Amino acid sequence: MVMRDAVAEGLRRLLIPLACRAPVRVFALAGVNSPTNIDDLRLRDDICLVDSPRSANVLWVAGLLPAPLQDSARRVHAMMSHPRATVWSRPSVMTAEHATLFPHATIVGPSEDLFEALRTVQRALLTKRHASDEALLPDEEPAPWRGVGPYGQGGTGMTGGVPYGRPMAERAPDRDGLELDQLPMRIGPFFPPFPSGLILDVRLQGDVVQEVTIAESLFAQGNVLSSGESQGDLLRDPFRRALTEPVPVGELELARARHHLRWLAHALRVHGLEALGRRVLMFVPALEPGKAGDILALRRLLDRIRTFDWSTAGVGILERQQLSGRGLGPVARAAGLSDDSRLVDPAYDKLGFEPLVHNDGDCRARWRQRLGEVIQSLALARAGAQPAGGAGSVESPRGVLRPETGPTPALLTLLPGLVRGMEWGDAVTTIVSLDLDVREARAASPVETPTSGKPAVERDE
Amino acid sequence: MLAALGAALIVFVAGLSAWLAVRRVGDVLNRPETTGPQRIPFSGGDPPAVHAWNRFHARYYAMALLFLAFDMEMVFMYPWAVVFVREGMIAFVEMLMFIVILMLGILYAWREGALEWS
Amino acid sequence: MTDWLVMVVVTTTSVGLALTLGIYGTVVLDRVIGRSIAGEPLRLTRALVGPFQHAALLLLQQRSDTERSDSATWAVAPALLGALAAAALAVVPLTPAVALEVSSGIVYFGATMAMVMVAVFLNGWSANSTFPLIGGYRFVAQALSFEMPLVLVLIAAALPAESLNVADIVRSQDTLWNVVRQPLGLPLYLIAALGVSFLGPLGLPDGIDLAGGTVAELSGTALLLWRAAQAAVLVAVSAMGAAVFLGGWLGPWLPGSVWMALKTLLLIALMVVAKHLFGRVRLERFVVVSWVVLIPVALVHVFLSGILALRRIGS
Repeated sequence: MVMRDAVAEGLRRLLIPLACRAPVRVFALAGVNSPTNIDDLRLRDDICLVDSPRSANVLWVAGLLPAPLQDSARRVHAMMSHPRATVWSRPSVMTAEHATLFPHATIVGPSEDLFEALRTVQRALLTKRHASDEALLPDEEPAPWRGVGPYGQGGTGMTGGVPYGRPMAERAPDRDGLELDQLPMRIGPFFPPFPSGLILDVRLQGDVVQEVTIAESLFAQGNVLSSGESQGDLLRDPFRRALTEPVPVGELELARARHHLRWLAHALRVHGLEALGRRVLMFVPALEPGKAGDILALRRLLDRIRTFDWSTAGVGILERQQLSGRGLGPVARAAGLSDDSRLVDPAYDKLGFEPLVHNDGDCRARWRQRLGEVIQSLALARAGAQPAGGAGSVESPRGVLRPETGPTPALLTLLPGLVRGMEWGDAVTTIVSLDLDVREARAASPVETPTSGKPAVERDE
Repeated sequence: MLAALGAALIVFVAGLSAWLAVRRVGDVLNRPETTGPQRIPFSGGDPPAVHAWNRFHARYYAMALLFLAFDMEMVFMYPWAVVFVREGMIAFVEMLMFIVILMLGILYAWREGALEWS
Repeated sequence: MTDWLVMVVVTTTSVGLALTLGIYGTVVLDRVIGRSIAGEPLRLTRALVGPFQHAALLLLQQRSDTERSDSATWAVAPALLGALAAAALAVVPLTPAVALEVSSGIVYFGATMAMVMVAVFLNGWSANSTFPLIGGYRFVAQALSFEMPLVLVLIAAALPAESLNVADIVRSQDTLWNVVRQPLGLPLYLIAALGVSFLGPLGLPDGIDLAGGTVAELSGTALLLWRAAQAAVLVAVSAMGAAVFLGGWLGPWLPGSVWMALKTLLLIALMVVAKHLFGRVRLERFVVVSWVVLIPVALVHVFLSGILALRRIGS
């Protein structure tokens, strides 16, 4: 025993200096109003963003987490392995309830260096100068089960038990006539491919999505965009400003191009093209009006390697009549509708603006649409200081934005029907292709969602 | 000849031991105990309603059956490959007939939609 | 007996050495190629020391557990994958001197590659978590589809050699490498090899759409060992590819082992490039393409190679 401890100590002494120089393994919880964008971490050599909290050493909380997400955030914290720490990027204004969310967290203010803080925290964790975060949640199992039932399995029968406090899945009919288990599960709000805050209740049979409902809690009070918590985000967003005041076309169009490129980087990452995603992210700060050479080269590259086409073609097709007149921006234009509120803006009219359209309405048409719009936006941005907007509604990168709502609620109503019957990978491709922003959804009324008045499972399908 | 095969099998055992040994080192270096909330499976932050283990609908079962037929064919091809040049055209024609019949099987399975499931 | 013991020790040492260097080389290549495709500065020193730092960090991280996980199979899965890679590499002649002359080498290699399916499935299944489970089942579908082309192209290469011994196949390429003699062989083999090492386009079991799939619940040493085992499989299939298609140790001026190492690294690099350039394919699409295109083409390839082998011997 003494021998073993001595060997372990020796090994530790050998490994710690090496590990201290390793990139920080970070799992990010994206909230609102964060001073640092999560994409900025992806381009860092000294930070390694991981897709599951299990193998992260540092939990990075970006901004403020709305009340309904706080329990999930604590659960994600609990899932991390030791040694673990929390780093919290906080805006200057915050409410008292936030202060107690992560008592052990290292707080990073808007003007401080986040990357340095992340590195320091991981180093301190390894050298034991910073104690590993202790559990915030009590160490208890979800339900009592030990010793219950004839074999102590938690109940009676093969699947009647609740081992570890959880029941087993139940069978349900399927379209090929086989009756196999249907797995109800809740995905989100911090599932990396999805926008932060999106919570889906999914029923999976095998790897096929049989039913999706959007969790009611998404629309809960306190989750609302206008609740003051996200004021900072709103002020930074030129499209929000353009609702009430004229904003230069150049600024709007560059912001649109940046938004679409960030989206493309995320979509590439979800398709396993992490390196190409980083290449796209590097274009973002360097965008200039009229200079689309890099983007054209990127489009040629994506055309040439084909696989991004193969994995998106024919997936998640939306018909024109589902989209028409709802202000769904690139999603609508990718289905062949020239639905664009820039058409009625005199500033754009003067520039001879014509909306770009694609016809297929599938995920491939959507990424091509967005990439095409980046190139178009860079050309439009040459108009520079010419003022546009200020008319109460504006064409944001996602679609028509109004003071109270954006395109996301309408897209969310389409989502359950769209992904039903899809293989899980295709469902993720489709949800990513819609470019949802849950903050917009929170302003919508829950009555509009398709969850109401529908049975949880369609048993006679 | 069997001696060489035996050596190759010992490499397998050595590999197994090496991987398990490193795992042991990791367990010595770190604390083993986990808490209840730490063990919750990750699906975005919320706990699952049921256990993940289920009677999983592997929709490619028809393709898996097709594989069995071809796997057996491969077993015949190994010895065939060794004697092929010695036996010449006879071996060639025999295997060709066998394979053509199997290929008709693939075409039939494809037409019936056995390779697609979603 | 002593001869045999010497053989065991030599093989185990050489396989251990080759795997260690190969895994290290794979991680370095992965970073260098990834960064050059991203258009970032290469920072070679970081790339060279990075793997040790990553490994040290993971060694100092706790290994996670999930509710009612199958801890025994979870422990075995990475070890099985690594051991299969080592066993597969054992029958690949690294140099003529340490070549293990297994008369059924190709059969043995095919068997280890088929067992990879078990290791990956177990790793996904054991966690009792939905995403790893789906990843495991995905890999089974993927493996059932690439297994046939993988072995068929190796059988085609065995035809002119009249032997299933990999060293004999290398010797049969004395005049002409199989990459030229059987031009369809290497491309088909590389597609199947991407599948068996679940990389890039065929990295379906651990895709980001499953939050990491079979690795979603792994941390610390378990994650390190799994990634090492995956790289080990890549090294083993690349070494086999180098031996069977690129003439193994054959080559002028340099010693045989150096040629073998260079050719293996070349194939690893090709597959890492494919990983970074070709995104994840849809599973169903891959299954259909594999059965309707890859397997028939591989069979045609076997027969074409057979005819060519007959004509060569005849003339």
